[in-house]
Amino acid sequence: MPPVTGTFIFGEALVLGLSSGPACIASCGPVLVPSLLAADAGVRPSTRYLTTFLGARLLGYLLFAAVAWELGVLVALPPAPRLLVVGVIHVLLAGVLIWYAYSVGHVHARSRPDSELVTIDVARKRGISGPAALGFLTGLSLCPPFVVAGVRAAELKSAVAAVLFFAVFFLGTSVWFVPLVSLGCVRRSQAVTTVARMAMVLIAFFYLYLGLAMLMGRKVYGY
Amino acid sequence: MATEARILPPRVTAPRSIGRSVLLTLPVMVWSLLIFSNSYRGPNRSVLIAGIITSVFMTALFFMMMRTWSTYRWRRWFFVALGLLFPVGFIHEVMVMRGSMGIPMEEMIAGRTPFCFLPIPLLILPAALTKTVVFPGSILPGGGMSGSGMAAMAGLWLAITIVVGKGWCSYTCFFGGIEEGMASLPPRAKLRKIDPRWRYGPWAVLLAMVLLSLALFEPAYCMWLCPFKAVSEYVAARNSVGMVQNGIFVVLFAGLVIVLPLLTKKRTQCAFFCPFGAFQSIFNKTSVFDVKIDQSRCSPCVLCQNACPTMSLTAESIAQGKTLMSCMKCGACVDVCPKHAAVWHIKGTEVAVKPERARLMLLYAAWGMATMFGGTTIAQGLATILHVLV
Repeated sequence: MPPVTGTFIFGEALVLGLSSGPACIASCGPVLVPSLLAADAGVRPSTRYLTTFLGARLLGYLLFAAVAWELGVLVALPPAPRLLVVGVIHVLLAGVLIWYAYSVGHVHARSRPDSELVTIDVARKRGISGPAALGFLTGLSLCPPFVVAGVRAAELKSAVAAVLFFAVFFLGTSVWFVPLVSLGCVRRSQAVTTVARMAMVLIAFFYLYLGLAMLMGRKVYGY
Repeated sequence: MATEARILPPRVTAPRSIGRSVLLTLPVMVWSLLIFSNSYRGPNRSVLIAGIITSVFMTALFFMMMRTWSTYRWRRWFFVALGLLFPVGFIHEVMVMRGSMGIPMEEMIAGRTPFCFLPIPLLILPAALTKTVVFPGSILPGGGMSGSGMAAMAGLWLAITIVVGKGWCSYTCFFGGIEEGMASLPPRAKLRKIDPRWRYGPWAVLLAMVLLSLALFEPAYCMWLCPFKAVSEYVAARNSVGMVQNGIFVVLFAGLVIVLPLLTKKRTQCAFFCPFGAFQSIFNKTSVFDVKIDQSRCSPCVLCQNACPTMSLTAESIAQGKTLMSCMKCGACVDVCPKHAAVWHIKGTEVAVKPERARLMLLYAAWGMATMFGGTTIAQGLATILHVLV
């Protein structure tokens, strides 16, 4: 393999991210779109929501990449732990989605002014914001674009380089998420919020089933 | 001022004359003879008899609609017959084709799943992003598909949909008839208080299924939630996943198509669950036909609201003189209104001036497609039964 410069590697990460964007949208869409629709209307709240979600997703990405790199299993995570990890993440994702759907309804019913920062913790003062939790968990899940980036990152010499590769790759994919800010322009009404909450619950049940099936050792959708 | 000066048409109570009713039915009779002309020429006696019966059935129902000025109760005969006979013909066909109602995954991947309109909204995003149709349904006998055939099917659906909007769900869909039949059985509803927020259910299912179809790259509704898999074709249960999928289909069918319609006298699957229905609602905006409430005649007795099988009328919408976006143009509200305040209407015209003309125009379009899609399905089901009996 010919020697390659750092610029070339990170250029490759960016292009890889840009080309994987539609797959990222497809993978995160079921979590992101309804939760974004359930949040407050307006471009600014949507941008804030998306920034939090993507920031937490980046954190999830980097954390997983660093740990997996250190353990030497970035590419070839053995089937049993992989099922366990992905299963637990899916169950957690389902739980957060259901709780978020409930919290949004609770907050809307009480017309709280800070509904975009719905707390998902019982202790409200220390609560984690919904988009952050959802973004972090989607960042941890082994989606196809993530695996693609993992394969390339595993060839790099150090954990720092692998993490940087993931960060640049993430930037490339994030470009595709920008149009979702326009969902903030959808006029919020009881209908839109209810539809979004119902969809979140439905999707949560699907993730819950997937998660439980994986924890029981069943292979579903190629995991 | 224009409203005050308007002359309201007289209330019609006497039946229309037989001669005039026959005259108005003639176009439908000719259309039905044309549609079933193939069955008259064929050597198969069962197909011939089924074709004749269906042709007479469709013409007679339209004649009664003309004679009695009533739409809903005659349309319901057709719709229930369609709902009951569709599984008969369909199951027979898949049994002949592959010897089982269970469809294995390799058959689906090979595109030998019979074409169904329900996944249409689920195909849009994957097709837009990857130029791939994730529901490889076939439209040719014995499986397979042609690009032009697919385009013709899509074109036909779009043309009909633009004209009648969500009327598709009352005159063409071969799934809604079973629950409409179930809803008509009990004399009165046992479950009357239904949270109106359930009306948003179809939109939620649509949103969730569109997003999951893109994520999983398969028509998620067909794989996980379609209640009618229970009476058409199901996923061949070769593992626990298949068992779970089929369990969901059966539970949803029993709940939404059998039990809840019996308890509520509503089309619960259509009103609270069907994502295709939600998608079709959008086209009510393009359709020229709708139902209006003439405020000058309405004394809010809520008979129409109670009669609506999909909860598409609310106190607010009645006060605004219109139905909700989810109206399926079945005619229940128009028929039940004692003051003739609920009327058929053509957009852009004045409300309640010539409602019968609007009804006729809708019915010619709707009954034409009902005969073409529903009639042929009824004939197929009848032919299957006759084939066994005769």
